Amino acid sequence: MASILQATFVCVFLAVFAPHFSLAESCIGASFNSKTYTTTDGALSTETVFLVEFQLSCKNKISNIFLNAEVDGKQIPVSRSGDNKYQVSWTAEHKKAPSGTYSVCIYDEEGFSALRKALRTGEESKVKPLITVPVDHPGVSKGPWVSTEIIATGIAGLVWYAAFATKKSIQS
Amino acid sequence: MAGGKKLTKEEELLLQDFSRNVSTKSSALFYGNAFIVSAIPTWLFWRIHQVDLFQSQSIVMFVIMTLISSWLVAFAYKNVKFVLKHKVAPKREDAVTKEVMKKLSDADSKKMSRKEKDERILWKKNEVADYEATTFSIFYNNALFLLLVLFMSFFALKSQDPNINYILSVALSAGLLALLSTGQK
Repeated sequence: MASILQATFVCVFLAVFAPHFSLAESCIGASFNSKTYTTTDGALSTETVFLVEFQLSCKNKISNIFLNAEVDGKQIPVSRSGDNKYQVSWTAEHKKAPSGTYSVCIYDEEGFSALRKALRTGEESKVKPLITVPVDHPGVSKGPWVSTEIIATGIAGLVWYAAFATKKSIQS
Repeated sequence: MAGGKKLTKEEELLLQDFSRNVSTKSSALFYGNAFIVSAIPTWLFWRIHQVDLFQSQSIVMFVIMTLISSWLVAFAYKNVKFVLKHKVAPKREDAVTKEVMKKLSDADSKKMSRKEKDERILWKKNEVADYEATTFSIFYNNALFLLLVLFMSFFALKSQDPNINYILSVALSAGLLALLSTGQK
């Protein structure tokens, strides 16, 4: 008798609250604040690093959900770095990471599984990302084209040449 | 004093002009300048090549190399000055003659003998040539020394340990400078 009552209670509970739980999984009206970092010094680093940190806020007050990201066809897990704060990072060779704006598409679990399914079947994905974070990458530079020591030596060379020319004209 | 003859004053003056000896005043100028220019690489190696200046070993190294290089640079100054002095003198002769003549009043000019006038011109000409050769020699050797030090330390001995780099680049630059100054042309 008690077990029947218990089962009924569970059924009623699920019938009433389950829709709320499943609603709680997806974020509605997502907006974000993002901070990005990309490598710019090519002389000291062997690869370009992209680092995106963003804070997500949903209109339905949902927090700390599981997210995944997709950039240029690469799927990357998103890690949580704080309350509602997330981080995505990846590296690429300098040559394969030209300057420009990169779009980092962020998917929630539902969107990401739909995306993977579409990729598996070879269809074109029609899944809309939760948010798209733009990352401006100014490109890597290897420092000034002419180094300081060349400039210093060049100037010293010019001064010496002026002195040498004068010496020649005195001695002629 | 060959033949037991005593040199006349003019002969002594002439000898002095053609000797490599320099007066105390220009000697002081040479050694002072040589010391300053030899000390400049210390700054380069301390600030740019990151040698620890305040280590007792480094201080000894810097002092010794600065003194050696000062001597070599001063030697180069003297040699270049000697070569230049006799090249400068004829070039300034006309201008010096004009100036000396202008300075002499008519009365003086009539009183003076031709020989005395020539002597005055010669003396002034030597003074001008000496001064010009001294200053130019300092400028030329400084420019060459610094160029050599920069080239050696930044390019030729780039991969060496900074201490070895310092010793070699200063020694080679000052040595090469002294060697080049011994040429007569």
